[in-house]
Amino acid sequence: MLEAFIYIAVIALITGTVLPLLYSSKKSRKASFGLSFVSSIFLLVFAGTILYTGEESVFPAIRFIPGLDFTLTADRLSGGFILLIAAVVSGVSIYSVEYVEHAKSEARKDLQAALTNLFILAMMMVVLAGNMVCFLVFWEIMSLSSLMLVLHDYFSEENKKAGLFYFIMTSLSTAFLFMGFISLFKLTGSAEFGSLNYPASDLTLPFLCLFTGFGIKAGLVPFHKWLPYAHPAAPSSISALMSGVMLKVAIYGFLRFLLSISTPELWWGTLILIAGSLSAVLGVIYAVKESDIKRLLAYSSIENIGIIFTGIGLYLIFKLEGVESLALLSLAGACFHAFNHALFKSLLFLGAGSVVHATGTRNIEAFGGLIKRMPHTTTLFLIASVSIAGLPPTSGFVSEMMLFQAYFYSSALPDPLLKVLLIITLSVLALTSALAAALFVKLFGITFLALPRTRCAQEATEVPKPMLLGEAMLAIFCILSGLFSSRILALLDFDLGIPDMLLLGLILVGTCGLVRIAVRNSGPSKTRTSKETWGCGILDQLPTMEYTSAGFSEPLVVIFKKIYRTEISSTRTYSDTKESIFNSGTAKIHLIKFFQERLYLPVAYAVSLISSQVSRMQNGKLDTYVLYVFIAVLTLMTFTRYFA
Amino acid sequence: MISSFIANPAFLEDIIRILFVFVLITAAFTLSTRNIASLLTVYAVQSLLMVLIAIFLYMIEGNKTLIAIAALTLVSKVLLIPLFIDLIGEKIKISRDLKFNYLEPTASLIVSMGLILLAYVFLSGFFSELIMSKLFFMGAVIGLSLTLMGMLVIFSRRKVITKAIGYLTMENGVLLFGIFVADLPFIIEILIVIDLMILVLLTTILAIGLDSTIEEYHQRLQTLKIWSGSGD
Repeated sequence: MLEAFIYIAVIALITGTVLPLLYSSKKSRKASFGLSFVSSIFLLVFAGTILYTGEESVFPAIRFIPGLDFTLTADRLSGGFILLIAAVVSGVSIYSVEYVEHAKSEARKDLQAALTNLFILAMMMVVLAGNMVCFLVFWEIMSLSSLMLVLHDYFSEENKKAGLFYFIMTSLSTAFLFMGFISLFKLTGSAEFGSLNYPASDLTLPFLCLFTGFGIKAGLVPFHKWLPYAHPAAPSSISALMSGVMLKVAIYGFLRFLLSISTPELWWGTLILIAGSLSAVLGVIYAVKESDIKRLLAYSSIENIGIIFTGIGLYLIFKLEGVESLALLSLAGACFHAFNHALFKSLLFLGAGSVVHATGTRNIEAFGGLIKRMPHTTTLFLIASVSIAGLPPTSGFVSEMMLFQAYFYSSALPDPLLKVLLIITLSVLALTSALAAALFVKLFGITFLALPRTRCAQEATEVPKPMLLGEAMLAIFCILSGLFSSRILALLDFDLGIPDMLLLGLILVGTCGLVRIAVRNSGPSKTRTSKETWGCGILDQLPTMEYTSAGFSEPLVVIFKKIYRTEISSTRTYSDTKESIFNSGTAKIHLIKFFQERLYLPVAYAVSLISSQVSRMQNGKLDTYVLYVFIAVLTLMTFTRYFA
Repeated sequence: MISSFIANPAFLEDIIRILFVFVLITAAFTLSTRNIASLLTVYAVQSLLMVLIAIFLYMIEGNKTLIAIAALTLVSKVLLIPLFIDLIGEKIKISRDLKFNYLEPTASLIVSMGLILLAYVFLSGFFSELIMSKLFFMGAVIGLSLTLMGMLVIFSRRKVITKAIGYLTMENGVLLFGIFVADLPFIIEILIVIDLMILVLLTTILAIGLDSTIEEYHQRLQTLKIWSGSGD
């Protein structure tokens, strides 16, 4: 019975993919997004039931070729991620109905609608995959459909570069996954996902391959560089899906593998924890400096992925140290943060999409004062910002608190070295949380408060209702998952001692109300006199007097200047030979893109060098080719004699 | 007296062994001779050796296909093909192929020694389970070595004619291997000969039409941008 929900969702999404390609009209696009919304409702019910009952749902296998079965299964883990997909898709599909109409041509609109449905279908199927073949096939469909969506504005140079970057990274990720799965298949002799009762030394290669493969896709430092390129290039609704859902699908894949291992090793956990902490802190530090709204959000995604990986690393460490309760707390924290991040990051991307749509620019220096022009968007954006900054009583606060709790209780661990590591990573996580709060104060303040800095911000108007409705849907999910977090976790049989956020929320609202009443009713006089204060000789407040984005983040930039690694270069010319009369000069502050310049480019150069050497083998000379055949024959002869 | 020798299989086997040595010597000549006319003679001699081997083997085994193969080889490879190539040689007025690719004659000879050794080691691994007389095993080894040496000739010599001779040598190797091991059906042998005829015809077209070397042919292709041109 329950499986029927998935079948309906699949049919709806396939129809949603085909429909806009067959009939190019606004109506068919509307119907297409309507179908994705319908599928999300079915998925919500399906995932909710699976999560609540804990039943495992196995679908009949589909055989395309002998030995190539597609099996689908759903357990609690996949149920949780299906819920995440469904929640985000419900909001994004409503938002997209109007948003897609702003694309440049009819063909692009149709393509965007079709590919969005295909993208959602692929992500859903990856999560439901029961074996490696099914997983990889839908993983590739997911990657390619998202690549085409990133490239939707294919004439722009920026998009082409972003698309190429994304293509290389996603192919690299798939290559590592293939290697990982092949080595697993060699070990187990089966392509099905199941428990892996093998010694950890046998699983080291699959672990490293899958960690790298999923890490690239999830945007873990140092494989994160594609995110700040791909997210700004893609349409905002797609950025929301990519950042909100696709990154989580990578985390799902990694968790699926990790949880099936009975005996992991401690260094795995340490590696994941360190990579996670680094991603978290570097992600937020880079985000603080950013002034492109979507790129800033992309860096923030790296930060949050880092936090999730921190939780996974903690889970492994606690599990191996025998502290099951803390292991469960960390894992639940990581999964809950993945869910929450999906909600508020999608909402933020949709909000950013609305702002960009209204102003025509992504540069936050050009915004300001949008609270008066776009009040609804502002409110919704504020909800997401408060959540992501981890302020109580929101969901972001709960999931981060779960990880902090796990850290705090870890003092009982006997290993002193491990203790030091945990203290260091705890302080990194604390720094990350604080910086994230500062980051979203900056983003919200500079974008929505004060006076409009440019004409485009001045002329901005509120976006159409469907877009607001889509965002509102996600905002409601955000609020509900925060306020009812302890109840949701209790419903899933996780007794983790989380404080009741509803109560906390009510207390907070009550306190605020009381303070307001107290302020109103206190004071010496109730009669008001209003007079203009001394304006320091300034007649009017101008936008130029406001804090700029760069100005706001300057103190942080100064503190972390070692990480930003700016390079200052200058040239001078003099009028005389003794260099005493200055004539002219230039000075340049160049921000070194550390990972790009020191890691990606050297690797790219090395690859291009090797390929140019290899391409010399293909010289079009008959003799050379006969020589190759000759060498191949000799090698084969030797091989069959001694090894076969 | 002669008839008593001929009736003795051990004697015939010895003769075949001596012929194997001659075959190897002709192969060595094919690798190192610069004069095209003598190269052609060497090929004719090599083919004649094939004919003789087939006849002696027939005397031992009595398989009539071997006689048919001998006749076919005599007509095609000893008489027709060398004659035809000789005609081409006269037409394009090239009597020598002086330059070598990758391997000079001395190196080629050393490599071919290695090839014989490799063929021996390779086949000894393969045929260890099969019950096979030493002569047949030797035939297989020489056949395989000849094939590989033919291939060596194809990529180490430059002129189209010498390359064609390399190919013909390879075919001789296949024939030898077939006679001793695989028991090739006669129809396949006929098809191979037809192939060779076509090869020689194509060689004529290439050699006369395109100034006799593959390099020049390649250069023409490059000017036509058929290759990407990354080689130069």
